[in-house]
Amino acid sequence: MSTENKSGWIVTALAGLRDWTNDRLPIVAAWERHMSKYYAPKNFNFWYFFGVLSLVVLVMQLLTGIWLTMNYTDSAEAAFASVEYIMRDVEWGWLLRYMHSTGASAFFIVVYLHMFRGLMYGSYKKPRELVWVFGMAIYLVLVMEGFMGYVLPWGQMSYWGANVIVSLVGAIPVIGEDLLVWVRGDYLISGATLNRFFALHVVALPIVLLALVVLHLLALHEVGSNNPDGIEIKKNKGPDGIPLDGVPFHPYYTVHDLVGITVFLFVFCFVVFFMPEMGGYFLEHANFQEADALKTPEHVPPVWYYTPFYSMLRAVTVPLFGIDAKFWGLIVMFGAIAILFVVPWLDRSPVKSIRYKGWYSRIALLAFTVAFIILGVLGTQSVSPGRTLLAQAMTVVYFAFFFLMPWYTAKEQTFPEPARVTGRWITWKQIIITLGLLAALVILPLKAVGAESNVELDHVEVNIEDQASLQSGFKYYMNYCVACHSLGYARYERTANDLGIPTDLVTENLIFGDHQIGDLMDNSMSTDNAKNWFGASPPDLTLIGRVRSPEWLYTYLRSFYADESRPYGVNNKVFPNVGMPNVMHELQGDVVCAGGEHCELEHVSGTGSMTPEEFDKTVADVVNFLYYVAEPIRATREYIGFFVLGFLAILFVFTTLLNREYWKGIH
Amino acid sequence: MSEDGTDSGRRRFLLGSTSVVGVAGVVGAAVPFVGSWSPSAKARAAGAAVRVDISSIEPGSILGPIPAWRGRPIFVVRRTEEALAALASQDPRLQDPESTQPEQPEYATNEYRSRRPEILVLVGLCPHLFCSPTPHIELRAESWDEQWKGGFFCPCHGSRFDLAGRVYQGSPASRNMQVPPYYYESDSVLVIGEDGVNA
Repeated sequence: MSTENKSGWIVTALAGLRDWTNDRLPIVAAWERHMSKYYAPKNFNFWYFFGVLSLVVLVMQLLTGIWLTMNYTDSAEAAFASVEYIMRDVEWGWLLRYMHSTGASAFFIVVYLHMFRGLMYGSYKKPRELVWVFGMAIYLVLVMEGFMGYVLPWGQMSYWGANVIVSLVGAIPVIGEDLLVWVRGDYLISGATLNRFFALHVVALPIVLLALVVLHLLALHEVGSNNPDGIEIKKNKGPDGIPLDGVPFHPYYTVHDLVGITVFLFVFCFVVFFMPEMGGYFLEHANFQEADALKTPEHVPPVWYYTPFYSMLRAVTVPLFGIDAKFWGLIVMFGAIAILFVVPWLDRSPVKSIRYKGWYSRIALLAFTVAFIILGVLGTQSVSPGRTLLAQAMTVVYFAFFFLMPWYTAKEQTFPEPARVTGRWITWKQIIITLGLLAALVILPLKAVGAESNVELDHVEVNIEDQASLQSGFKYYMNYCVACHSLGYARYERTANDLGIPTDLVTENLIFGDHQIGDLMDNSMSTDNAKNWFGASPPDLTLIGRVRSPEWLYTYLRSFYADESRPYGVNNKVFPNVGMPNVMHELQGDVVCAGGEHCELEHVSGTGSMTPEEFDKTVADVVNFLYYVAEPIRATREYIGFFVLGFLAILFVFTTLLNREYWKGIH
Repeated sequence: MSEDGTDSGRRRFLLGSTSVVGVAGVVGAAVPFVGSWSPSAKARAAGAAVRVDISSIEPGSILGPIPAWRGRPIFVVRRTEEALAALASQDPRLQDPESTQPEQPEYATNEYRSRRPEILVLVGLCPHLFCSPTPHIELRAESWDEQWKGGFFCPCHGSRFDLAGRVYQGSPASRNMQVPPYYYESDSVLVIGEDGVNA
């Protein structure tokens, strides 16, 4: 009895606080309006998760972003190093950074799916035009936010991506050139540009984004949510004025969304903990090299979420009315986004949802989706005549979807809408047919324009659990490589601890000069000396294991051969005319290139202090070490990942049961 | 609420258990955010123990230039026999002559507040509001004390400390100056910042 009295006292106090506040601020009315008495259609399906998921990602980006600014340095000299500092030296910094970088891609994934849902079910149509317009404004700000954020790590892709995109300003006739200098604040992308992008990325654009999100939600809650059937639930109200097909958002959709959020977090955490680079799509390999204004990477694809628009930019190759093709590419690229704003006024169909629209609309939406995906894939690849032609065709399809919309939506035969929402779900048959059709339509044209060919590389096993191999690799690196190539983002102490080497052994044998065990391994030759000796300073190799694949490094280090025409008497098969001598020659011995034009490397037997097998093993150890030192947290990251995924699996069980408990009486 | 069985025990159980698991998740998610505020590897490397050579300090003088450990000034004084003998005479005038407050490692909790009697090692900050007191090592009358037996005088708020860093009565500071962890690596090399193996 006493416990009941106690909890009763707490409840009374809380209720009192609520009433006191409510007399001064309408919190109860706001809660009812947006949550407990906001009636949402009861037939939401899978597609309706992506709105709340974008809110989840937004919060995550804000939090991790604020935390990243605590250790990031926004200057051209220090930005790149400060990101590696976050990745290595700041406690948990790697996780905050991976959450933010994965979050950027996740944001675009959920927003693209959210937008597609709107197109599919006609969520933009009257009375929801403003909801759509605010949503599109959010997307536009997100594009700018993502672009400026990508510049901040100040890697090669940051730099050259910014260079390419900002240069588009220069395409504007007459004022372009001056405008370009003004936008950059310099005659090239420089620290000045970085500083202003930083300010916009962390302060200005997030404020705009938050304001737009509030407007998007207020407008939505004024007119009410659409649903897969595209019919207004407000048309069928009960005697109490509550829509017959509506359920209060809270608790029904709060518990429902919890399930979606848990599943999303599971996928998200899987990427964060097990594949944060996502094969170079979320974090591009070339961006692990510091920005260099004098050297463009071989291939400058934008991050995946801009590739459809980037493809359209590249597809415009014809000058028109005496103005450069570049300008028209710019118009097409921005036009592709701008035209989405006016979709509510292009669609003249009497029905909203694709379920009751005619075949013209269905085919048009499929063609549009195919075009968007194909353009996206093409944007990640380098150009060829075939690909440019395909991109041009798909750009036409993309715009035809919109330009022809007033015609085909008015002309087609629609299907009768039901009076009440249906409990109809997408069937497996429909999913398989749609996905199959989509896959075929996307893959076949891409196959037709060909795949890229690569240099053949030798296979090597990397294993960061193999401490003996890592120790051997570290030893050979410190003996043969570190004199020229520093490991300037890694520390002796951490490396020694991770590799299971006693720190005093490292202090005695591997530390040069007046370095302490806690210092960075940046003790290589001075940049001036390097320029004199090699004509270029040998790069820092801390991150080379993320720039190049282990296979490339392994093959490269073993592919030096005698070539008298080169300054050091050696050339390299994988990296022709490289400025580096074969430092491990005394171990490997002589290698010659036999067979003239098609060079086959042959080891001259009896030369070198190691047998070819021993040498291969040594190089594999060095490569293994480089793979480790490029991301020392890898093993820990995966270890933690298992626990996080396990936890989310448990949470999924609870949220699913809770959701079922609430929804068992509905339908 | 209970007309359709919605207020069932099952529902309350699921709400409670999901909340508990959810709160655990939020706590877990807070770990990286909270943890990232700890000193980074860079700060830890910068705050690592420092080695100083004490062979050159004359009796009755302080090691200069003053070394820093974790950004704080460290006073290393070689006290004369006379100064050591005078320490006990100050006891009645001090706030904590026995060093009962934990301002020093165990091995410095003695009458000299040091490992070796003649070598005094102190964090050169006044425990009052963390100004750095000025060393006045000589045993002679000073303007603030006719019977000054050497020590430290804080210019900010006038706190006074003897040659073992013990605070005089009538000072705004109420604690003795801190003795950092330290040990002797050899006869002449002092390591400040670590207790050493035989602490």
